[in-house]
Amino acid sequence: MILTIRLHRVLREAVRTPYRNLVTRATGAAVRDRIEAELAGGDWHTALLDFSEVELLDFSCADEIVAKLLLGPASAGRALVLSGVREAQRETLEHVLTHHRLAVLARFDDGEKPEPLGCLTADARAAFRALRDGEGADARELAARLDWPAARAEAALEELARQRLVRPAAGRFQPLALP
Amino acid sequence: MTRVVEVPAHFDDRSFDQLASGFGEWPPAERVLVDARGAQWASPYGLVGLLSAGQALVEAGSERPLLTVPLQDDVKRYWARAGFFRHAADLFEIHGKVPRAPASGPSDVLLDVTPVRGSEDIHEIVGLIQENASRIISGELGLDPKAAMGFSMALSESCQNIVEHAGTSGWVAVQAYTFRRRLGRRVVVIAVSDAGVGFRRSLEATQAKRFGDRWSDATALEAALIQNVSRFRDPGRGQGLAGIKRYLSRWDGKISIRSGTARLAIVPSWDDDLPLTDHLPFFPGAQVQVIIPAQHADAR
Repeated sequence: MILTIRLHRVLREAVRTPYRNLVTRATGAAVRDRIEAELAGGDWHTALLDFSEVELLDFSCADEIVAKLLLGPASAGRALVLSGVREAQRETLEHVLTHHRLAVLARFDDGEKPEPLGCLTADARAAFRALRDGEGADARELAARLDWPAARAEAALEELARQRLVRPAAGRFQPLALP
Repeated sequence: MTRVVEVPAHFDDRSFDQLASGFGEWPPAERVLVDARGAQWASPYGLVGLLSAGQALVEAGSERPLLTVPLQDDVKRYWARAGFFRHAADLFEIHGKVPRAPASGPSDVLLDVTPVRGSEDIHEIVGLIQENASRIISGELGLDPKAAMGFSMALSESCQNIVEHAGTSGWVAVQAYTFRRRLGRRVVVIAVSDAGVGFRRSLEATQAKRFGDRWSDATALEAALIQNVSRFRDPGRGQGLAGIKRYLSRWDGKISIRSGTARLAIVPSWDDDLPLTDHLPFFPGAQVQVIIPAQHADAR
């Protein structure tokens, strides 16, 4: 099951503010606490954090929400995906994710295909695109698709799986199914 | 006995040390009179710094300081319009006629002098800037909307330093003006000041040992601004100043931080400031200034 959490709603519940800005570490921690409570209660394999009504995201809030959710037990073994992300929020997310050597799948509000943000090698990005635009694959199939040696494809797929950007099952790697 | 501390005629980050030297040993044993009668111009940095001086004296248990208002009408009108006197009245015994702050209208004051006491204040500050300042930031300064968003982020992170590290409240002000002497074009300036513990004491428990005999206000600033270290062990900390630096490097901006007896700046090519100034007269807390210049030369 895919669990969708609208961050603007959580912000309104956590902080009395008329604005749509995810700013300050205290706010980020309060929002994350509520998200963790929602994640704890559900039978889900992918959680979609919906940024679509959020205007500003500062570094402290991005660190408290996105990085700590990815690092913490609430999302262990499952996938977190960001949706409705604004282009202006990209740099903040990239900065925070890279700082922690993390990556996350993000779908931007322009409706383009999802793309990984954060700390990822060029090979892993190429492998991700090949999987996203085609079928799932094992290392041998991916190597053939990209004209790579098998070991290179294997390393790229392992990196994607470690960052929870693809779903491994019986030796094959599938792109995350998103609504 | 009263110690008279004179406000420099042109009161900004460069002349701030003149004000700081007037206090002598901190906190001064005598009652302080801050004499602003000769002030002809003050930057937002000067105004929030003055409030921090008043706050630090009050919090140190000194007798309530006195403040004489500028003699020039246009100067005191600007100080009133920027919201300075509204807050100064809580900290100083004010002498001289204070003009009523004019009703809000078109102004280069993008954010009045505003207290920063907690996370809720920062939500309000950032929200107000986004509502009121986008015309100047995107229009006059020629920054694209993404840069305007980065500006709000820099503001948020600058204010959070007070909440996270100062141990007391502080002040922020944002203003656009023409930086004639050094740049000859429009700039927008964020000034943040607090009367708290300063960078050295904030970082002492985690960083002093690493620096040994070199530990000082200057090395504390270096640790925070250059090495992005934080007093918290959380590995996610320290990204705020790092993010501000990255933003400023893209838009040719400047940040300077004064704390205790040192000042550290990341200096863009258009400025001739010294990167590090040490052995300054002591001033409590921390004073941060962020300057973002217009992206086109005809913005004057």
